[in-house]
Amino acid sequence: MPDVTIFDRLRIERLVWSLDQQLYDLPRAQRLANRREVRANLLEAAHDVGTTEALRRVGGSRQLAEQYLVAEFGDGPRPSWIGAIYAAALLPLLLNFFLSEAANAFESGVTAADPQATGVYVWSGVSGLQSAITYTFSDGAASHHGGAWTPLTYALWLLLIVGAGRLWRLRLRRRPALAAS
Amino acid sequence: MTDTHDPQLLKGVLSLLLLHLLAEHESYGYEVVQRLQAAGFADVLEGSVYPALTRLQREGRLATRLVPSTSGPARKYYRLTPAGREALASGTDSWARHISAVDTVLSRPLPASAEGS
Repeated sequence: MPDVTIFDRLRIERLVWSLDQQLYDLPRAQRLANRREVRANLLEAAHDVGTTEALRRVGGSRQLAEQYLVAEFGDGPRPSWIGAIYAAALLPLLLNFFLSEAANAFESGVTAADPQATGVYVWSGVSGLQSAITYTFSDGAASHHGGAWTPLTYALWLLLIVGAGRLWRLRLRRRPALAAS
Repeated sequence: MTDTHDPQLLKGVLSLLLLHLLAEHESYGYEVVQRLQAAGFADVLEGSVYPALTRLQREGRLATRLVPSTSGPARKYYRLTPAGREALASGTDSWARHISAVDTVLSRPLPASAEGS
Protein backbone atom coordinates (compact mmCIF):
# COMPACT_ATOMS: atom_id res chain seq x y z
CA MET A 1 0.00 0.00 0.00
CA PRO A 2 1.65 3.28 -1.11
CA ASP A 3 2.29 5.91 1.55
CA VAL A 4 0.62 9.27 1.10
CA THR A 5 3.22 11.94 1.79
CA ILE A 6 2.74 15.63 2.44
CA PHE A 7 3.62 16.24 -1.20
CA ASP A 8 0.89 13.80 -2.27
CA ARG A 9 -1.59 15.61 -0.03
CA LEU A 10 -0.64 18.87 -1.69
CA ARG A 11 -1.20 17.39 -5.14
CA ILE A 12 -4.62 16.17 -4.06
CA GLU A 13 -5.48 19.53 -2.48
CA ARG A 14 -4.41 21.27 -5.68
CA LEU A 15 -6.88 19.22 -7.68
CA VAL A 16 -9.64 19.73 -5.09
CA TRP A 17 -9.01 23.48 -5.00
CA SER A 18 -8.86 23.68 -8.78
CA LEU A 19 -12.12 21.73 -9.03
CA ASP A 20 -13.77 24.02 -6.49
CA GLN A 21 -12.80 27.12 -8.49
CA GLN A 22 -14.73 25.74 -11.46
CA LEU A 23 -17.87 24.92 -9.50
CA TYR A 24 -18.85 28.43 -8.40
CA ASP A 25 -22.15 28.09 -10.27
CA LEU A 26 -23.22 25.40 -7.80
CA PRO A 27 -24.78 26.22 -4.42
CA ARG A 28 -22.16 26.60 -1.68
CA ALA A 29 -23.35 23.56 0.29
CA GLN A 30 -23.12 21.43 -2.85
CA ARG A 31 -19.59 22.65 -3.54
CA LEU A 32 -18.51 21.86 0.01
CA ALA A 33 -20.01 18.37 -0.23
CA ASN A 34 -18.31 17.73 -3.57
CA ARG A 35 -14.99 18.95 -2.24
CA ARG A 36 -15.14 16.71 0.83
CA GLU A 37 -16.20 13.68 -1.17
CA VAL A 38 -13.56 14.07 -3.87
CA ARG A 39 -10.86 14.63 -1.25
CA ALA A 40 -11.88 11.59 0.81
CA ASN A 41 -12.11 9.34 -2.24
CA LEU A 42 -8.82 10.57 -3.68
CA LEU A 43 -7.00 9.98 -0.41
CA GLU A 44 -8.29 6.44 -0.25
CA ALA A 45 -7.44 5.82 -3.90
CA ALA A 46 -3.96 7.26 -3.32
CA HIS A 47 -3.44 4.78 -0.48
CA ASP A 48 -4.51 1.96 -2.81
CA VAL A 49 -2.92 2.74 -6.15
CA GLY A 50 -0.65 5.74 -5.54
CA THR A 51 -1.39 9.43 -5.95
CA THR A 52 -0.39 9.71 -9.60
CA GLU A 53 -2.72 6.89 -10.64
CA ALA A 54 -5.52 8.16 -8.39
CA LEU A 55 -5.31 11.61 -9.96
CA ARG A 56 -5.16 10.13 -13.45
CA ARG A 57 -8.33 8.12 -12.87
CA VAL A 58 -10.23 11.17 -11.76
CA GLY A 59 -9.48 12.63 -15.16
CA GLY A 60 -8.40 16.19 -14.28
CA SER A 61 -10.24 18.99 -12.54
CA ARG A 62 -11.70 20.53 -15.70
CA GLN A 63 -13.27 17.28 -16.85
CA LEU A 64 -14.50 16.46 -13.35
CA ALA A 65 -15.99 19.93 -12.91
CA GLU A 66 -17.76 19.62 -16.24
CA GLN A 67 -19.26 16.31 -15.14
CA TYR A 68 -20.46 17.80 -11.86
CA LEU A 69 -22.02 20.75 -13.68
CA VAL A 70 -23.73 18.41 -16.15
CA ALA A 71 -24.95 16.33 -13.19
CA GLU A 72 -26.46 19.45 -11.64
CA PHE A 73 -27.75 21.34 -14.68
CA GLY A 74 -28.01 18.67 -17.37
CA ASP A 75 -26.42 18.53 -20.83
CA GLY A 76 -26.33 21.48 -23.16
CA PRO A 77 -25.24 25.09 -22.91
CA ARG A 78 -25.81 26.73 -19.57
CA PRO A 79 -25.41 30.23 -18.17
CA SER A 80 -22.56 31.20 -15.86
CA TRP A 81 -23.87 33.05 -12.83
CA ILE A 82 -20.38 33.61 -11.52
CA GLY A 83 -19.41 35.23 -14.84
CA ALA A 84 -22.44 37.52 -14.61
CA ILE A 85 -21.63 38.45 -11.01
CA TYR A 86 -18.00 39.24 -11.85
CA ALA A 87 -19.11 41.39 -14.77
CA ALA A 88 -21.72 43.19 -12.66
CA ALA A 89 -19.18 43.97 -9.95
CA LEU A 90 -15.99 44.63 -11.90
CA LEU A 91 -17.22 46.56 -14.95
CA PRO A 92 -18.43 49.61 -12.94
CA LEU A 93 -15.09 49.68 -11.11
CA LEU A 94 -13.10 49.58 -14.35
CA LEU A 95 -15.35 52.04 -16.16
CA ASN A 96 -15.39 54.51 -13.27
CA PHE A 97 -11.61 54.27 -13.06
CA PHE A 98 -11.20 55.19 -16.72
CA LEU A 99 -13.83 57.94 -16.61
CA SER A 100 -12.20 59.35 -13.50
CA GLU A 101 -8.79 59.30 -15.20
CA ALA A 102 -10.27 61.13 -18.18
CA ALA A 103 -11.81 63.76 -15.90
CA ASN A 104 -8.48 64.19 -14.08
CA ALA A 105 -6.73 64.57 -17.43
CA PHE A 106 -9.05 67.45 -18.36
CA GLU A 107 -8.43 69.09 -14.99
CA SER A 108 -4.66 68.66 -15.40
CA GLY A 109 -4.90 70.18 -18.89
CA VAL A 110 -6.57 73.31 -17.52
CA THR A 111 -4.05 73.78 -14.71
CA ALA A 112 -1.16 73.08 -17.12
CA ALA A 113 -2.36 75.91 -19.35
CA ASP A 114 -3.02 78.25 -16.44
CA PRO A 115 -1.73 77.22 -13.00
CA GLN A 116 -3.79 80.00 -11.39
CA ALA A 117 -6.96 79.25 -13.34
CA THR A 118 -10.14 80.69 -11.92
CA GLY A 119 -13.63 80.24 -13.34
CA VAL A 120 -16.06 77.63 -14.53
CA TYR A 121 -15.14 75.14 -17.26
CA VAL A 122 -17.42 72.56 -18.82
CA TRP A 123 -16.20 69.37 -20.43
CA SER A 124 -18.73 67.31 -22.33
CA GLY A 125 -17.31 64.07 -20.91
CA VAL A 126 -16.53 60.83 -22.75
CA SER A 127 -18.92 60.97 -25.64
CA GLY A 128 -22.08 58.92 -25.08
CA LEU A 129 -20.88 57.33 -21.85
CA GLN A 130 -21.25 60.16 -19.35
CA SER A 131 -22.93 63.52 -18.87
CA ALA A 132 -21.04 66.82 -19.00
CA ILE A 133 -18.66 67.64 -16.15
CA THR A 134 -18.54 71.15 -14.73
CA TYR A 135 -15.23 72.23 -13.16
CA THR A 136 -15.01 75.19 -10.84
CA PHE A 137 -11.45 76.53 -10.54
CA SER A 138 -10.27 78.95 -7.92
CA ASP A 139 -6.56 79.92 -8.09
CA GLY A 140 -5.76 76.58 -9.73
CA ALA A 141 -7.71 74.50 -7.18
CA ALA A 142 -10.57 72.61 -8.84
CA SER A 143 -13.77 70.95 -7.82
CA HIS A 144 -16.15 69.29 -10.23
CA HIS A 145 -19.58 67.78 -10.50
CA GLY A 146 -21.43 65.85 -13.18
CA GLY A 147 -20.08 62.98 -15.25
CA ALA A 148 -22.87 60.55 -14.43
CA TRP A 149 -23.45 57.45 -16.54
CA THR A 150 -25.81 57.91 -19.44
CA PRO A 151 -28.64 55.43 -20.17
CA LEU A 152 -26.41 54.05 -22.95
CA THR A 153 -23.70 53.22 -20.38
CA TYR A 154 -26.22 51.37 -18.22
CA ALA A 155 -27.45 49.51 -21.30
CA LEU A 156 -23.87 48.54 -22.22
CA TRP A 157 -23.25 47.38 -18.66
CA LEU A 158 -26.33 45.14 -18.76
CA LEU A 159 -25.33 43.86 -22.19
CA LEU A 160 -21.86 42.93 -20.94
CA ILE A 161 -23.36 41.20 -17.88
CA VAL A 162 -25.59 39.14 -20.16
CA GLY A 163 -22.59 38.39 -22.39
CA ALA A 164 -20.20 37.43 -19.59
CA GLY A 165 -22.84 35.25 -17.93
CA ARG A 166 -24.20 33.90 -21.23
CA LEU A 167 -27.61 34.58 -19.72
CA TRP A 168 -29.49 34.12 -23.01
CA ARG A 169 -28.98 30.42 -22.37
CA LEU A 170 -31.57 30.63 -19.60
CA ARG A 171 -34.16 31.11 -22.31
CA LEU A 172 -32.68 28.34 -24.47
CA ARG A 173 -32.73 25.94 -21.53
CA ARG A 174 -36.37 26.68 -20.73
CA ARG A 175 -37.60 25.80 -24.23
CA PRO A 176 -37.28 21.97 -24.03
CA ALA A 177 -39.11 22.00 -20.71
CA LEU A 178 -41.95 23.99 -22.24
CA ALA A 179 -42.04 21.69 -25.25
CA ALA A 180 -42.17 18.63 -23.01
CA SER A 181 -45.03 19.94 -20.89
CA MET B 1 -15.89 -9.74 -19.68
CA THR B 2 -13.87 -7.52 -22.02
CA ASP B 3 -11.19 -5.20 -20.74
CA THR B 4 -12.68 -2.11 -22.34
CA HIS B 5 -16.20 -0.90 -23.00
CA ASP B 6 -17.66 1.59 -25.42
CA PRO B 7 -17.77 4.81 -23.35
CA GLN B 8 -21.09 5.83 -24.93
CA LEU B 9 -22.70 2.51 -24.06
CA LEU B 10 -21.27 2.70 -20.57
CA LYS B 11 -22.56 6.23 -20.11
CA GLY B 12 -26.06 5.00 -20.91
CA VAL B 13 -26.06 2.22 -18.36
CA LEU B 14 -23.86 3.71 -15.65
CA SER B 15 -26.82 4.96 -13.61
CA LEU B 16 -28.48 1.57 -13.79
CA LEU B 17 -25.28 -0.17 -12.69
CA LEU B 18 -24.84 2.24 -9.81
CA LEU B 19 -28.43 1.78 -8.66
CA HIS B 20 -28.04 -1.98 -8.74
CA LEU B 21 -24.73 -1.99 -6.87
CA LEU B 22 -26.15 0.30 -4.21
CA ALA B 23 -29.30 -1.81 -3.95
CA GLU B 24 -27.04 -4.73 -3.01
CA HIS B 25 -25.56 -2.71 -0.17
CA GLU B 26 -24.71 0.88 0.58
CA SER B 27 -21.25 2.09 -0.43
CA TYR B 28 -19.13 5.23 -0.65
CA GLY B 29 -17.81 6.63 -3.92
CA TYR B 30 -14.43 4.97 -4.13
CA GLU B 31 -15.86 1.63 -3.01
CA VAL B 32 -18.48 1.84 -5.76
CA VAL B 33 -15.69 2.35 -8.29
CA GLN B 34 -13.82 -0.66 -6.93
CA ARG B 35 -16.97 -2.79 -7.13
CA LEU B 36 -17.54 -1.68 -10.73
CA GLN B 37 -13.95 -2.55 -11.58
CA ALA B 38 -14.26 -5.92 -9.85
CA ALA B 39 -17.37 -6.56 -11.96
CA GLY B 40 -15.28 -6.13 -15.11
CA PHE B 41 -15.65 -2.42 -15.80
CA ALA B 42 -11.95 -1.78 -15.36
CA ASP B 43 -11.98 1.33 -17.55
CA VAL B 44 -14.61 3.17 -15.53
CA LEU B 45 -13.07 6.40 -14.28
CA GLU B 46 -13.81 7.85 -10.89
CA GLY B 47 -14.35 11.16 -12.65
CA SER B 48 -17.56 9.86 -14.19
CA VAL B 49 -18.83 7.86 -11.20
CA TYR B 50 -18.75 10.60 -8.53
CA PRO B 51 -20.79 13.13 -10.54
CA ALA B 52 -23.22 10.34 -11.53
CA LEU B 53 -23.77 9.56 -7.84
CA THR B 54 -24.34 13.26 -7.17
CA ARG B 55 -26.88 13.42 -9.99
CA LEU B 56 -28.77 10.38 -8.67
CA GLN B 57 -28.80 11.94 -5.22
CA ARG B 58 -30.14 15.22 -6.64
CA GLU B 59 -32.86 13.28 -8.46
CA GLY B 60 -33.90 11.75 -5.15
CA ARG B 61 -32.88 8.22 -6.08
CA LEU B 62 -30.06 8.02 -3.55
CA ALA B 63 -29.79 9.14 0.05
CA THR B 64 -26.49 9.71 1.83
CA ARG B 65 -24.98 9.64 5.27
CA LEU B 66 -21.51 10.51 6.51
CA VAL B 67 -19.61 7.77 8.32
CA PRO B 68 -16.35 8.56 10.14
CA SER B 69 -13.34 6.71 8.79
CA THR B 70 -10.25 5.64 10.72
CA SER B 71 -8.04 6.07 7.65
CA GLY B 72 -9.01 9.60 6.61
CA PRO B 73 -11.92 12.01 6.19
CA ALA B 74 -15.51 10.87 6.77
CA ARG B 75 -16.94 8.79 3.97
CA LYS B 76 -20.19 9.64 2.21
CA TYR B 77 -22.24 6.45 1.96
CA TYR B 78 -24.97 6.20 -0.67
CA ARG B 79 -28.07 4.03 -0.41
CA LEU B 80 -31.20 3.64 -2.51
CA THR B 81 -34.41 5.52 -1.73
CA PRO B 82 -37.84 4.14 -2.66
CA ALA B 83 -37.68 6.32 -5.79
CA GLY B 84 -34.31 4.74 -6.54
CA ARG B 85 -35.78 1.24 -6.23
CA GLU B 86 -38.55 2.18 -8.65
CA ALA B 87 -35.99 3.64 -11.07
CA LEU B 88 -33.92 0.45 -10.78
CA ALA B 89 -36.94 -1.76 -11.50
CA SER B 90 -38.07 0.26 -14.51
CA GLY B 91 -34.48 0.63 -15.74
CA THR B 92 -33.91 -3.12 -15.49
CA ASP B 93 -37.10 -3.81 -17.49
CA SER B 94 -36.12 -1.24 -20.06
CA TRP B 95 -32.62 -2.73 -20.35
CA ALA B 96 -34.05 -6.25 -20.79
CA ARG B 97 -36.34 -5.03 -23.58
CA HIS B 98 -33.42 -3.20 -25.16
CA ILE B 99 -31.21 -6.32 -25.11
CA SER B 100 -34.02 -8.42 -26.50
CA ALA B 101 -34.60 -6.01 -29.38
CA VAL B 102 -30.89 -5.74 -30.16
CA ASP B 103 -30.48 -9.54 -30.00
CA THR B 104 -33.39 -9.99 -32.37
CA VAL B 105 -31.65 -7.86 -34.95
CA LEU B 106 -28.16 -9.23 -34.39
CA SER B 107 -29.30 -12.86 -34.58
CA ARG B 108 -30.69 -12.45 -38.11
CA PRO B 109 -28.50 -14.24 -40.68
CA LEU B 110 -26.48 -11.99 -42.95
CA PRO B 111 -26.63 -12.40 -46.74
CA ALA B 112 -23.74 -14.39 -48.20
CA SER B 113 -22.42 -11.37 -50.19
CA ALA B 114 -22.19 -9.29 -47.01
CA GLU B 115 -20.13 -11.97 -45.31
CA GLY B 116 -17.65 -12.05 -48.19
CA SER B 117 -17.16 -8.29 -48.42
